[in-house]
Amino acid sequence: MTRRDFLKGIIKSSFFLLAAGIFGAAWYIYPSNARKRRTQYVYVLDEDELPKRGVRKLEFKYSVDDNEILNRAFIVVTEKGLTTFSPVCTHLGCYVNWDNNRKEFLCPCHGGRYSIYGAVIAGPPPKPLVRLPYKIEAGKIYLGITV
Amino acid sequence: MGKLLDWLDSRFALKRTHGRFLQRRIPSDLGYTYCFGGVAFTCFLMLAFSGFLLSLYYVPSEKDAYRSIVMITNEVTLGWVVRGLHKWSASLFIVSIMFHTIRVFVSKAYRPPRDLNWMVGVVAFVLAMFSGFTGYLLPWDQKAYWATEVGTAMSQNVPFIGDYVMYAFRGGPEVGGVTLVRFYSFHMLYLPASISVLLWTHFHMVKRLGISKNL
Repeated sequence: MTRRDFLKGIIKSSFFLLAAGIFGAAWYIYPSNARKRRTQYVYVLDEDELPKRGVRKLEFKYSVDDNEILNRAFIVVTEKGLTTFSPVCTHLGCYVNWDNNRKEFLCPCHGGRYSIYGAVIAGPPPKPLVRLPYKIEAGKIYLGITV
Repeated sequence: MGKLLDWLDSRFALKRTHGRFLQRRIPSDLGYTYCFGGVAFTCFLMLAFSGFLLSLYYVPSEKDAYRSIVMITNEVTLGWVVRGLHKWSASLFIVSIMFHTIRVFVSKAYRPPRDLNWMVGVVAFVLAMFSGFTGYLLPWDQKAYWATEVGTAMSQNVPFIGDYVMYAFRGGPEVGGVTLVRFYSFHMLYLPASISVLLWTHFHMVKRLGISKNL
């Protein structure tokens, strides 16, 4: 092996070192605690606590990765049956309130208004209120929360 | 070379500059003591590489600095490697600059026309020391805090302007959150930028004046 070949070999193999550095850096940059979002079912209330007709505001606690989270939702019973809504306005994410006199969900931030079925009546919201999945097991209602 | 590289070279003309850089005439009897400058520059590149990576996770605040260091070491993938690289390259950087300085001194390479290059090198060395000093505070643990407390207190002994110098370092009468931000800014903005410019002038002069070989 000539000296020239030897030096060429060293220069070429240094590119492998460079590649290893780049791959290592990419691995380092990727968050180590990244996990997929999943739906977690949380107990909120018993079936016999449901209103006959109307809206009930729910406040409930659950824990995700040892962090306790306080969350809210609306549970609505109409002639069409049971639906559960996220209280987050689809415009900019404020919490909406149920106005029992007007029979509408009102957003305090920019005046978005939703019907009891979650559809937009007026204001800036681009989409209806988000419906949360739920399931009823042995008389207990569980809400599907994305965590 | 491959098609893609030939295409790139016809536009970017990398091979020609590359050749001018690698195919210089140098004296044939250079020993390994002439490598320390290169070792120091390699350390500088490693420090830049690992420093860029560390800056993605490090939080320069009184409250979060230590916590983010612990997180880099224990939780981030390969975080301990990157931090270790930064720490050890920093030590080797200073040591190899010292050996480089001794070699230049012994081979009388500081004499004209290379006297300006010696001066540039000395300034770069001082800035490298400052980089080490400012970087030492960033883990924000007891050792870092007290080292900076003592180090900045020394500057108070400068005649006439001592108080001003110390307050300028600390950003206040005590070492605190302001000092941390100040050191962080110097460590990864002012000092590396200045050192980069100085190194460019340093290498430019080496290229133009050649290597001194008379011992």
